[in-house]
Amino acid sequence: MHATFSAEELAFQEEVRAFLRDNFNDDMAARIRDPKTFKAATIEWQKKRFDKGWVAPGWPVEHGGCGWSDTQKYIFDSALAEAGAPDVPPFGLKMVGPVIYTFGTEEQKQQFLPGILNGDTWWCQGYSEPGAGSDLAGLQTRAERDGDDYVINGTKIWTTYAQYADWMFALVRTDNSGKPQQGISFLLIDMRTPGITVSPIIAIDGEHHLNEVSFENVRVPVVNRIGEENQGWTYAKALLSHERTALSGIAYCKQVLNNVRKLAADENDDGQPLLNNPTFQARMADIEMELMALEYTELRVLATVANGGAPGMESSLLKLKGTELQQAVQNLFFDVAGLYGSVLPADADLSSLGHDYGDQARREYMYGRACTIYGGSNEVQKNIIAKFGLGL
Amino acid sequence: MDFSLNAEQQLLKDSIDKYMAERYDADQRRQYLAEETGFSSKVWQDYAELGWLTVPLPEAEGGFGGSVVDTSVLMEAMGRSVAVEPYLGSILLGAQLIARGNNAAVKGRYLEEIMAGSCHAAFAYQERRSRHQLDAIDCRAERSADGYRLSGSKTLVFNGAAADVLVVAAWLDDAYTLFAVPATSNGVQRDGFKLMDGQRVANIQFDAVELAGDSVICEGDAALAMVETVIAEATIAVSAQAVGAMEKLLKETVEYSNTRKQFGQPIGKFQALQHRMVDMYTATEQCRSLLVRALCSHSGGEAQAASDTAALKAMVGKHGRAVAEEAVQLHGGMGVTEELSIGDYLKRLMVIDTLFGDSDWQRRRFAALRYGPQAA
Repeated sequence: MHATFSAEELAFQEEVRAFLRDNFNDDMAARIRDPKTFKAATIEWQKKRFDKGWVAPGWPVEHGGCGWSDTQKYIFDSALAEAGAPDVPPFGLKMVGPVIYTFGTEEQKQQFLPGILNGDTWWCQGYSEPGAGSDLAGLQTRAERDGDDYVINGTKIWTTYAQYADWMFALVRTDNSGKPQQGISFLLIDMRTPGITVSPIIAIDGEHHLNEVSFENVRVPVVNRIGEENQGWTYAKALLSHERTALSGIAYCKQVLNNVRKLAADENDDGQPLLNNPTFQARMADIEMELMALEYTELRVLATVANGGAPGMESSLLKLKGTELQQAVQNLFFDVAGLYGSVLPADADLSSLGHDYGDQARREYMYGRACTIYGGSNEVQKNIIAKFGLGL
Repeated sequence: MDFSLNAEQQLLKDSIDKYMAERYDADQRRQYLAEETGFSSKVWQDYAELGWLTVPLPEAEGGFGGSVVDTSVLMEAMGRSVAVEPYLGSILLGAQLIARGNNAAVKGRYLEEIMAGSCHAAFAYQERRSRHQLDAIDCRAERSADGYRLSGSKTLVFNGAAADVLVVAAWLDDAYTLFAVPATSNGVQRDGFKLMDGQRVANIQFDAVELAGDSVICEGDAALAMVETVIAEATIAVSAQAVGAMEKLLKETVEYSNTRKQFGQPIGKFQALQHRMVDMYTATEQCRSLLVRALCSHSGGEAQAASDTAALKAMVGKHGRAVAEEAVQLHGGMGVTEELSIGDYLKRLMVIDTLFGDSDWQRRRFAALRYGPQAA
């Protein structure tokens, strides 16, 4: 049992840090945070990683993955957190990509994987519906066969970044006769197809991340179906454990905590730095200790997977605990910002506000309320752990 | 990075798991506790024959030369059975200090017998005013014609009553010094007490106890540093014990919930209770992860070993108690009886929290290491 890095691993760590110094900076971080420049800056960041060959750590090498060990993945994620560099959105690289290379046809792999890797194709996820949230299998968006096409009718909701998306991966109902989980198919849908309407939903951070996407007689070629008809639930389930693991947000939490530590050292608290306040320290320590634990929980899960095991309830545990911690660090960040965090800045110039992070702290806190809801609410994750993990 | 046990550690684990399964059910445990010393000398002899008493001691002294990982394998299994043998006091504290000290005569006098199970050790370091501060002591030795004369009083010495040799921390001039004191020396007065979890402690009075000239195990900064290291390792070991106890409690609670019926169905079918058990599971897994983390950084001699250990102890202290309290709650009325062993686990986890710095103290230590002026 050890966690020491070999000489090669230390060299790799240096290489990653050097790459980040050369390719990521505060300006890019700020542009990724700003909703107006988010998409372009995100693609720019993804392309830098792509050019280096470091865009898909979890993928097999033959499909464009890095071929890294778990330790290298850990080193890479930790270095991102140190540098304050965000990961790229998970929809292509962590969600649909693995489904396509695992269950897709050769043609589908050739058509879709390059764009997912180089950032040219922006993906969104069409799962939830107005009547199917945590109970996803209750989805009703219909796909009826007509010659070589499916004809889609229905509505998807909470679709993150649909306004930017070129493609959507969606679960649709192709059969109503059996159990709800049967009769679902997994389709790849070109967002430019006639009959698709994307309507914005403004979230409590005042921003447009979410959408409702309606389908009116939208024709999708049958060749854009993944795997067998009516077997979509199986493919989606295989993806869900990846998704939940991706949602743990450990690197993000480390980043916020690093930032909070720096900011709290500069904030005045009755003549002392806020960071010296024992109550503040205790709160921060509680969060950091849980985060240190979760980091190793994730590493233990990765080790199990590397040894041929499947992540079962552990992926639910990572989602559950990771999202709780995301909200905990967002709370702390907002509290360090003080009243400045409540100001709605009149324009993009934040420097007149006393300090420049209140806006970010408020928005991250507000939108962060969603993380315990999406990807299967935390209460649903607890049901999953109780049933499949504990055998209750 | 590798979190698995090596082949030798796996054998050790299999061997103690098998022994505990055969020799350590709740009834057997009660019989051991009923013996005069509070543990079974027969079981201790088995520990010796199976080689477990040698595990953390250096090979140069005839020990197995095991690491904190090996010790944790043993302690975790003992935690699963709330074992009552004085492994902590005698081996992890007393014998370790003797073995790591620089006094060959003392080593020769005791270590072989300790490993054979025929001699017991203990570490007398705490005093009434110490709480968790190692050097907040008043015990004092002065030089005498033949050696030293020791006076003062120690409290809560684990295995203090059954020990044959006491390692005693006292000031000699201005140096923190560890002495090996034969427990039956003139002027040593021991009052034994039971802890609620079955372990035994003693308050010990030293009244001008005459010590031989070769009694010093280690002195000065080196002695204090040695004690800090041994206690850091014991802190990880008792945390491993806590994780073992937590896992057992979760398992027992789930089994009970699947069999106990109320309102026409097993109570484990109620979502309110399921979610509480999931919280127990989450807390236990998080503690297991911090154990792995601390074992790795400690064995690797890494700079963050101290903060990792503080985090581990803070979390097992807090979550260990919470998990045990939940286990009592979910066992209902039966959980508050002595008939079930659930309470034994609660008591052990509470004792572990108070040992070597409770969760509040460890959290403060963690914060000082991470956010204080000396933090990187």
